[in-house]
Amino acid sequence: MRLKAFTSGIFGNNPVMKQVLGLCPALAVTTSAINGIAMGLATTAVLIGSNTVVSLVKNLIPAKVRIPAYIVIIASFVTVVDLVMNAYVHDLHKVLGLFIPLIVVNCVVLGRAESFASKNGLLDSILDALGTGFGFTLALMILGGVREIMGNGSVFGFDLFGPSFEPSIVMILPPGAFIALGFLMMGYKYVEEHKRVKRGGE
Amino acid sequence: MDLILLFVGAVLVNNLVLARFLGICPFFGVSKKVETAIGMSLAVTFVMAVASIITWIVQYAVLEKFGLQYLQTIVFILVIASLVQFVEMVIEKTSPDLYQSLGIFLPLITTNCAILGAAIINIQSGFSFVEMLVFTIGSALGFGLALVLFAGIRERIELSDIPYYFRGMPIAFITAGILALAFMGFSGLVK
Amino acid sequence: MKDSPFKMVIVLTIITVISALILATVHSGTKDMITENYRQDFLKGLKVVMPGFDNEPDVDFKVMKDKKIYIGKKAGVTFGYAVQTVSPKGYSGDIVVLVGVDTEGKILGIEIIKHAETPGLGNKIENKTWKDTFLGLDKDSNIAVKKDGGNIDEFSGATISPRAVCEAVNEGLDFLSRYAVGGEK
Repeated sequence: MRLKAFTSGIFGNNPVMKQVLGLCPALAVTTSAINGIAMGLATTAVLIGSNTVVSLVKNLIPAKVRIPAYIVIIASFVTVVDLVMNAYVHDLHKVLGLFIPLIVVNCVVLGRAESFASKNGLLDSILDALGTGFGFTLALMILGGVREIMGNGSVFGFDLFGPSFEPSIVMILPPGAFIALGFLMMGYKYVEEHKRVKRGGE
Repeated sequence: MDLILLFVGAVLVNNLVLARFLGICPFFGVSKKVETAIGMSLAVTFVMAVASIITWIVQYAVLEKFGLQYLQTIVFILVIASLVQFVEMVIEKTSPDLYQSLGIFLPLITTNCAILGAAIINIQSGFSFVEMLVFTIGSALGFGLALVLFAGIRERIELSDIPYYFRGMPIAFITAGILALAFMGFSGLVK
Repeated sequence: MKDSPFKMVIVLTIITVISALILATVHSGTKDMITENYRQDFLKGLKVVMPGFDNEPDVDFKVMKDKKIYIGKKAGVTFGYAVQTVSPKGYSGDIVVLVGVDTEGKILGIEIIKHAETPGLGNKIENKTWKDTFLGLDKDSNIAVKKDGGNIDEFSGATISPRAVCEAVNEGLDFLSRYAVGGEK
């Protein structure tokens, strides 16, 4: 039961592939696998923070001002992550740029605060944040990896095919983001469907 | 002249959705019908213009003056959230017709990263007040243009025979990719 | 208990005050490091265009015509100057270039500080080997892309970006030769 809170965010209910949320950063920064992971981890840090606090104070906040209160909490964590990243991993901060403050409006974060942390206990909320964050990071890493391999011929910065490989640059340009994610979603749907058929006996 | 270039650049070359990846959620969420797409575009244009003006003033009149730039994110999102709430109330009271057509989009706009994104880009690019206005309106129009075009295509996709696993979101993304590819033809237009 | 408006305001105020306090703490803890990071970013560029300086050129500069000329010194002796120039003729927006010359006006190095050129095409202006083809040239060398009859390589499919860089470099050389190299005039 406890484990479910963690795992559902990774496959069954993956924020990017299944819920189609948090797309702006998912498409914008995934020009390489490492950028995808960095964005995923930054979002996970905010998720853990906001889910924890929301779950702790859920009974103190009047229902009517719930959303503004959550937004303030989330925005605070985002600013902390922004400042800390700028100080300690400055180069990564430059790459992610605008999309760090935009974690505030990432529907995944507000979505988890509203639909899970405001109704569940502390431990479950943290697990949920970890699972959702991990699922988000995984999706971004795969998307970034695919785009990096096809568009740059490398993965995590290691050259894969040698100099004779002519990468299709479009994959690291904006259109490539949409197209790659479209095909990944198709694959996700395919795997999901096959799992369901198997479970159903035939 | 520069203002015209800035405007064209914001609408076509650095299109908010297709080149900057802002406002993707409503781009996929409310693009099934052209009619709703137009409603959403109008709501976004209005809120984006007002939000950009207020955040620009707040940034230079308050945050910069007191050295509080690090509170930018939190202050901007609060401005946008309260603005949306306020606009919703005003429209509901004054024009029920408009509320009927725009009302359902307004709550969605708070978490539309295009609004916050445009507000932050205005500051990061160091725009003057006039430049900010031109850029914001161009960006909003670019958003609307992409959204309405995309909705038109999706209405047709509904009627086509799509391979099973591509139905729904996957084909929508691939279509958006091709649309983005078309928009890339505009790059180099503003030099 | 009913949610009175009073309680709502109190709760929101408390939350905002707490977050403002936390943010102020984090800000004061990180701000020095962040400023230093941005400074190092700029110094990194200066190190490329004036290799081997041992002063602090980012504070050791003189202002000519509203432009900063950064001065590189080794053991107290001036050996080079650098200036930042902008070409608005990039394929997508401005290209900002830092140009460094020695005391005779020959290029010690160039660095692209900011650009938004297309990845895989125009952004090849970041390649070190390409940037190194500028080494040793001066304002009398024919700095232009080969297509324009110069001696700098363009890239297949991308002429505009290198052309813009050449323009910025020429502008920098011109400026430095007028206001820095060979003493102040």
